[in-house]
Amino acid sequence: MKPRVIPAALVLGLLAFIVVAPLAGLLNLGAMPGFESGDLRFWQSAYMRRVLVFSLWQALLSTLCSVLPAILVARAFALQPAFPLRGFLLRLFALPLVVPAVVAVMGVVSVYGSDGWIPFGRSLYGLGGILLAHVFFNLPLAIRLLLPHWQAIPRRHWQLAEQLDMNAWHRWRFLEWPALREGLPGVMLLVFMLCLTSFAVVLTLGGGPRSTTLEVAIYQSLRFDFDPIRAVVLALLQLGLCILVASLTLKLQRLPEVEITVDTSDRTTGPRLRPLQLLLILLAAVYVAMPLLSMLLDALAGPLLKVITRAALWHSVANTLFIGLAAALLSVGAGWFLLRYSAGLALAGQPGRARLIELAGSIVYVVPPLVIGTGMFVLLSPHVDVFSWVYPIVIAVNALMGLPFVIRTLGPALRQNHARYHLLCQSLALTGWHRFRYLEWPLLRRPLGLAMALVAALAMGDLGVIALFGTPNTATVTLLIYQQLGAYLIPDATVTALLLLMLCLTVFWLLERGIGGRLDA
Amino acid sequence: MLEIEGLEFSYLDQGLPDMCFDLDVMPGEVLSLIGPSGSGKSTLLNLIAGFLEPSCGQIRLDGAAIETLPAAQRPVSIVFQQHNLFPHLDLYTNVALGIDPSLRLTPTQVASITDALERLGLGGLEQRKPGELSGGQRQRVALARALVRRRKILLLDEAFAALGPAQRSEMIGLVKNLVQENEMMALLVSHQPRDALIASARTAFVCEGRILSLKSTAELLEQSTLPAVREYLGST
Repeated sequence: MKPRVIPAALVLGLLAFIVVAPLAGLLNLGAMPGFESGDLRFWQSAYMRRVLVFSLWQALLSTLCSVLPAILVARAFALQPAFPLRGFLLRLFALPLVVPAVVAVMGVVSVYGSDGWIPFGRSLYGLGGILLAHVFFNLPLAIRLLLPHWQAIPRRHWQLAEQLDMNAWHRWRFLEWPALREGLPGVMLLVFMLCLTSFAVVLTLGGGPRSTTLEVAIYQSLRFDFDPIRAVVLALLQLGLCILVASLTLKLQRLPEVEITVDTSDRTTGPRLRPLQLLLILLAAVYVAMPLLSMLLDALAGPLLKVITRAALWHSVANTLFIGLAAALLSVGAGWFLLRYSAGLALAGQPGRARLIELAGSIVYVVPPLVIGTGMFVLLSPHVDVFSWVYPIVIAVNALMGLPFVIRTLGPALRQNHARYHLLCQSLALTGWHRFRYLEWPLLRRPLGLAMALVAALAMGDLGVIALFGTPNTATVTLLIYQQLGAYLIPDATVTALLLLMLCLTVFWLLERGIGGRLDA
Repeated sequence: MLEIEGLEFSYLDQGLPDMCFDLDVMPGEVLSLIGPSGSGKSTLLNLIAGFLEPSCGQIRLDGAAIETLPAAQRPVSIVFQQHNLFPHLDLYTNVALGIDPSLRLTPTQVASITDALERLGLGGLEQRKPGELSGGQRQRVALARALVRRRKILLLDEAFAALGPAQRSEMIGLVKNLVQENEMMALLVSHQPRDALIASARTAFVCEGRILSLKSTAELLEQSTLPAVREYLGST
């Protein structure tokens, strides 16, 4: 029983091409036209140091400001297993996953800007604004990642704690902290990595050269200073940092020393209702909901008619839809073949290699999109007009960014399906299209729909590589918002951001329901 | 003596029957509870332990009502089928938690932990983590903790269900000795009629939230004419 290799090999080849070719371009620094060894001297400049220190500093602060409160809120959720709106609030905390970064930025500006509800300090632009936006994304993410660690504490342990007369401190010490300790470093490193590679937030909320990160410095070197050599050095530095953080993550994954669990009940015998915990949850919910609400109100009071009657908007909407759907198709297609191959390997008794294939799909965590973009820029610009290649590049990079989500949403179901039915399919000679039609589509359409919807929404809301390669003709809605912000047309940008958010949510909903089918089906 | 009288409980909207229990257990006795799943055996244990609150009825130990006490103050130790131990703590600490969750122990108490572990055949394993033990050894640690707690009521909620037949008989033997020596009152929930036969002089058959029959184990298992019992045992 040999897993079929060809489609997976194609996908892996494509992955390698998208990731490795640009990297080779980057590493081939010395061969670049106009390169002189003196060009590397800025490596030791104060600018370089400032960029590097600020990148790490803002990522560290963002991580602490997101994860530490998230521990308290996740604990409050875990210890309050039933209160009105609990499910609704948890779903609210899933929302930032599909809210485009520029939309969150407009929300943050709308709440904390100088005309906002809660004006922030002297100026929002700079470290303060970056932190506010990063916490908006990562606080809810961390809450949702940490909560399962509490839910993994067996109900029996809570009952024992009750019988053994443990107070809140004992429970934290003997039950909660040990459960949390396993997952906390991973969550912190993930958030750190996301903040380190965050582009749109820093681009729009960073205030000039004092608060620039590596990611934004790469963009500025390419787009404004026309200094590809500096861009390449910055990109390599960024790559090095990401590899460092990623290898730390792999190393720190502690193996939990737990009994094998069969208890699936989720009724927690926890302590009683605590107003303080409800207050914490409420504060977190307000923090997440406020930018979206405020932006909505601002946009409704803004120049709606002016914005929607401009041809540039509809042009960019068309571009956005095209890029989003194409990236989703490519990503889910590639993910499908990777996962099929990996599931086959796992079934054939090679779990190590199976896992490796799946890890290959998450390579984008290690090689940030902008580094790939820079590599492509350097690789292609001597030969072609890179700006006319914008669609294939942006679609490929967005598909790559979506791949980890495809693997996470589709992977478990596909693997289970494969393990259960593969032998049966073989004995019935059910293969290829027929196998998909009769077995995989009906059983896997729900996760397929979710994966498509997620990747499409992410790609449509992405402001990253498109900023490197986009021109007014090929602009997406996110790039349009960035241009409006650059021209200080904040009201216009707010209206456009609302339209983008509605577009993303609509496409998400249509794909999830359209492909996944009705929930009760 | 442990007396349970008119103890009522109902799960709201969970499709389980309303419960009402009457029962008594003598000092030194291991009373077995058998019956179909969902019949209320574990509910009864949870009510005695104080994890659930009865709507009415009494639980008395030697004449004193205990049903209003919080779980921590009840004279009760419970052993579950699994998750009895905290996996990241060593055996000594796992047992010590039974005496004081702050782990501030007197020398006598420390000695009692060593004794209890020794007594259950786990001498010298104080520093081990539960993950290094077999399933049977883990359940012994849980028993050692129950022993050092010195509470009169011992509840065993399918405590030996995951063990093989030989280990089960051995554990039941241990429990019987401990209960007799310390004049404890034990309730043993099991899915194996054979366990009841080894463990208990008397066995209660629980069905639909009621004690349908409470008599000598052999009589219940072999001669009962109740259709529910015969159906459960699969004897025709």
